Order: sequence, then C-alpha cells, then structure tokens
Amino acid sequence: MVPILAWRNLWRNPTRTLVLIGAIALGVWAALFMTGFATGMIKSYINNAIDQVTSHVQIHHPKYALDQDVRFTLDQPEKYLARIQENEAVKAAAVRTLANGMISSAKGARGIKVKGIDPADEAALTGLDQRIVEGTFLEGKRKNEILISRSMAEKLRAKIRTKLVLNLQDLQGEITPAAFRVVGIFHTGNKPFDEAHVFVSRKDLNLLLTHTGEVTAGVDEIGHEIAILLQDASQADQVKADLQGAGGKVETYREISPDLELYESQMSFVSIIYLSIIMLALTFGIVNTMLMAVLERIRELGMLMGIGMNKAKVFFMIMLEAIFLGLVAAPAGLLLGISTIYFLGKYGLDLSMYSDSLEMYGMSSIVYFDVPMKVYWQIPVFVGGTAILAALYPAYKAISLRPVEAIRKL
Amino acid sequence: MDVIKTKGVTKIYNPDKIPVYALNGVDLLIEEGEFTAIVGPSGSGKTTLLNIIGGLDRPSGGAVMVHGQNIAELSDNQLIDFRKDYIGFVFQAYNLIPVLTAQENVEFVMLLQKRSKTERQQRVAELMDAVGLSDKMDRRPSELSGGQQQRVAVARALAPKPTFILADEPTANLDSKSTENLLDIMTRLNKEENMTFVFSTHDQRVIDRARRVVTLVDGEISKDERRD
Ligand SMILES: Nc1ncnc2c1ncn2[C@@H]1O[C@H](COP(=O)(O)OP(=O)(O)OP(=O)(O)O)[C@@H](O)[C@H]1O
Ligand SMILES: [Mg+2]
Repeated sequence: MVPILAWRNLWRNPTRTLVLIGAIALGVWAALFMTGFATGMIKSYINNAIDQVTSHVQIHHPKYALDQDVRFTLDQPEKYLARIQENEAVKAAAVRTLANGMISSAKGARGIKVKGIDPADEAALTGLDQRIVEGTFLEGKRKNEILISRSMAEKLRAKIRTKLVLNLQDLQGEITPAAFRVVGIFHTGNKPFDEAHVFVSRKDLNLLLTHTGEVTAGVDEIGHEIAILLQDASQADQVKADLQGAGGKVETYREISPDLELYESQMSFVSIIYLSIIMLALTFGIVNTMLMAVLERIRELGMLMGIGMNKAKVFFMIMLEAIFLGLVAAPAGLLLGISTIYFLGKYGLDLSMYSDSLEMYGMSSIVYFDVPMKVYWQIPVFVGGTAILAALYPAYKAISLRPVEAIRKL
Repeated sequence: MDVIKTKGVTKIYNPDKIPVYALNGVDLLIEEGEFTAIVGPSGSGKTTLLNIIGGLDRPSGGAVMVHGQNIAELSDNQLIDFRKDYIGFVFQAYNLIPVLTAQENVEFVMLLQKRSKTERQQRVAELMDAVGLSDKMDRRPSELSGGQQQRVAVARALAPKPTFILADEPTANLDSKSTENLLDIMTRLNKEENMTFVFSTHDQRVIDRARRVVTLVDGEISKDERRD
C-alpha cells in the first residue's frame, strides 16, 4: 500500500517530478561522460607509454638502471629472447642496444638516447614502422641509417639524407664519433619521447660501441634491454615471475615508470570524484522538491496520521518517493550515458584542435571514452544514497507534524 | 457499555503566552449506539472536545477513557494505532487521499490493519453500497462531489469497524440535499450496525435528527438533552 501511495504521490505534480528526474539523469550522464573522458585520457596516456616507451615488461642488467652505463650489457640476450618469445602471454619482444650521446648537425647539437633496434622485432613490438611520416623505416640498405623525430628534424634543420654526427661513449669508455644518414622521420605523438630518442640499427650501434676495443666475437650479441609486449597488461606480474632469473633484472611497466602506476590507480576513483560532486549538487534539488512536496501536503499528512497511519509508515512513504525518483532517473541517465560512452568509445572524441598540448603530455589527440565496469554499480549506489540522504530531512519534517495542528489549518 | 467517558476535561491553549481556556471541566458519558450531536456557538470548544475524545490532542487536565482505555497512558505512536483500531473519523474537509480511488480510500485503514483481501473486498463493497456509491468505486476524490466525498469518508470511517465515529461538522460544506442524504446514511448505519456517532454541527436540520444533543457554551456543558 505504502509503495503504491508513494509512487502515485510522485506523479501528483508531473512537471516538477520530470524536471527533477531530468536533472538527476543529466547528472548521471555528466558523471559518466566525465569519467569516460578522464579514463579515456589516462588509458591513452598509459597505452601510449606502454606502446612506445616501456612495453609491459623489460629486462636489463641489474646495474643498468643505476647510471645507464653502456658496459652493463645483458648476457646472451638473443638466447633469452627466443625463450621469452615462447611464452604464451608474450605478443612481441625485442632486444635493444642503448647508448646515451650527442647528435649534431651543422645547425646544432642535442643530447639524446640512441636505441639500437632490430627493425623487424621493433616493428612488431612498438609499430615504429607505422610512425614514419617521411622517408622510410630502417631498411638496412646502407650502413649507418638513422631515424629521427619530426621535432628533432626541425631543431637540427635536418631532412631525409642529411648527414648527422653521433658522439657516443663506447664499451671502452672512449668517445666515438660516427656519421649517420637520415632515412626516415618519425612522429609518435608523444613529444617528450620524440625529442629524446633516435633509432639506428642495433648492428650498426654494436659495431660502434666495440669500435676501439678488441671485441670482435659476439659483436652482434650485445644488447642492454629486452622489451616485451604482452597480450594483456594484467599478465605483467605473472610474466615477470616467469622470467625471473632470465639473465637480468625483470621489471614491469609500473616499476619502470611509476607515474603509470599512479595514473592507473587514479582511474579507479575519478568516477567517485565526479559522482560525488554531481550528487552533492543534486542533493539540494531533491531536498528542495521533497520539502515542497511535504509542506504542500501538511493537511493530508495530518489526516493520514489522524486515521491511523503511523509515523514509520509516513516516513517510509516520503523516503520511497525520493527513492522512486532515483529509480526512474538513474536508469534514464545510465542509458543516455552508456550510449554516449559507447559511441565515443568506438569513434572517439577528436581533440586535434589541442593536439599540440596533448602530445606534450604524451596523449593522443583522439580520446576514446572508456569507463571502468564498477561505475555501473557506483551510479545506482550514489543516486540511491543521494536520494535517501536528501529525503531524510523532509521525511523527518513530515512525521514531526502533529495531526491536530495539521488538520486545523483548514 | 460506555464507549467514551470524560471526567473534568480541561484544555488551555497557549498556557505560556495568552492562555485560551477552550474547555473548562467537561464530564461526558457516551454509550454504545448513541447518535449524539455536540452543538454550541462558534468558539465554544466543540472541535477541541472532539479532538481530545478522538486522541488527536491531549487534554490539559482531567481524564479521558475511550473503549475502556485511559488515553493519557498512550504514547503518540500508540495513540495512532489506537485511533486506527477504535475510532473512525470524518473531518470537515480533506478527508480523502487524493491519489487513491474511492474504494482504495475506504480500504486504506483496513490495509493498515492487515485485514485479509477477501474481508477487505467484501467490506468495501458492502459500505460503498451502503453510502450509495457502488457505481463510483474507481473515481478519485477530485472526480466526486463534496457530498459524495463525505459519504466515502463515512464509509472509510466505518470500514475498520471502530468503536465509534467522530465527525466534526461533516455537513458544513454540503448543500441541503447532500446533507439530508449523508444524515440518512448515518442514521441507517447507526440503527443497522448499532454504530455510535458523535458529531458537531451548526446546522439545525442536523440537530433535529440527533437522538441526543449536548450543548457547549464557553467550554462547559450547559445542556444535555435526550430525545428517545
Ligand atoms: N490551536 C489553538 N490555539 C489557540 N487557541 C485555539 C486553538 N484551537 C482553538 N482555539 C481556541 O479555543 C476555543 C475553542 O475552539 P474550538 O475550535 O474548539 O471551537 P468550536 O466550538 O469548534 O468553534 P467552531 O464552531 O467555530 O468550529 C476558541 O476560542 C478558539 O479560538
Ligand atoms: Mg469547530
């Protein structure tokens, strides 16, 4: 009986009820939209970082992380690579030779990190070959080919076929200059990354690093890093455990780049923040409407208590009116929000207008909306909680009426 | 059996500010099956007395026994339950729940009492018939005339089989034809179901049909007349 009464009471003033339902639904939609946007941005940042910079798992010489000294090479990386590639969870893996140095053209010089890559492996791992905007990928047609980024090209005023000089410290600690020719210009969309890296073939780099030494055997074997891309990011810890003792220190992307872990953890509460803000604003609307609904029914509420409806039932009735409000509004907002997220998740929101600043932070210019699954239970909980909280005072107001006074106000 | 017994009931409104002495020692005994009108000039305390008898308000002094229960001993919540089970109310206006149909209004208190569905349906049909509104079962109050609304209110008051029915000026908003009609129904229910009625009124035609007339003046009973 009380639920029927509450439901019908809700529709006594349909306009007012619909306005409030609309406001709550819009709030739910906005929370979903903002969560979808923020989660999409964060995921794009994390994915870009994983795709281009960290991969999911990396292996280095245990001391390499300390000062990135070229001498801390991995022991027989090729052998481990073969073993790693057999792991079911591994999608792609590649060995890299790394060196810090200086690149210079006639117009200027910059400090950079040189990545010596096996082109085919790297293409499979990071898709670098897809990022070439001018020229070609490393094709190995000639010796000492180099890939530089578009922003680096601008800074060095270099073009395809421009000759650049790399100065590196070799394994003997000697500074070794070498001439490289630009064959391709890449653009990953991650500005900090682009400005700090150049790519050469690992074979060329290994030769350069052993330039002054007697090392001749096993030159091809030199490598500092094995980067591994997995089928799924969630397997990172498992794979790390599997590869433990594979001849080096194994780290997941969270360990390599702690900011990624921070962002990942942020993703789990952005929705709560947005929901809290929006629901707080809605609370005032619900309190106001419910209070109005109680005050304009003083006589009727007095009559109800007069003829024997007890305070618990009256209280429950007012609460139910607010809960029903939420029960209608939340699904409406969810439906609206889910369709928006679905659409913007599939086609993305194009923010090319701001792509320069987005790239500065390593994010893509198209944001694909995404919401964590748990948002779908957070929303009903928040809307329900808000409705209940907002109805408490009006319901209390209703039961503190004395029937005789209410009835007398004829 | 006494259904209502008051002893030296007083009521002072605003005792702290400007006190209003609404009742000044009312002794009243009402027995089962009576059909009593409380009359008196405006402000004489009729509504105050009915509210106190009905447990809607508490007296400032004196004792009220209803259905053998001293209602001063009941908490506010117990009073609500007491009213639900023992007292039927017909107010002057705003009697009915606007979002419920006539039959749902009649059924309402029985639902609060958790009566069975068959019992409720039977009683509703019987009472809607008794008040001559069998054809208006599914109308909402706003779709009924003032007289019809008061008849639904009488049916609603009777539905839970209370010990007595209190009605404060039930005909005040009705035209003479509706007044006659309502009184016919009340009289018949009084006779057929032996239902005790206590009502206040200003209307001479209503007073004429009462079997007992209690006159209040300045919060005291000045005349108590039986016409059997
Ligand atoms: N809530 C109240 N606060 C203060 N005074 C009140 C209150 N209710 C009633 N009174 C006063 O108590 C006295 C009795 O009022 P009551 O309503 O019982 O009279 P009544 O006989 O029903 O009058 P009427 O015929 O006009 O309905 C009046 O003087 C009235 O002004
Ligand atoms: Mg009165």
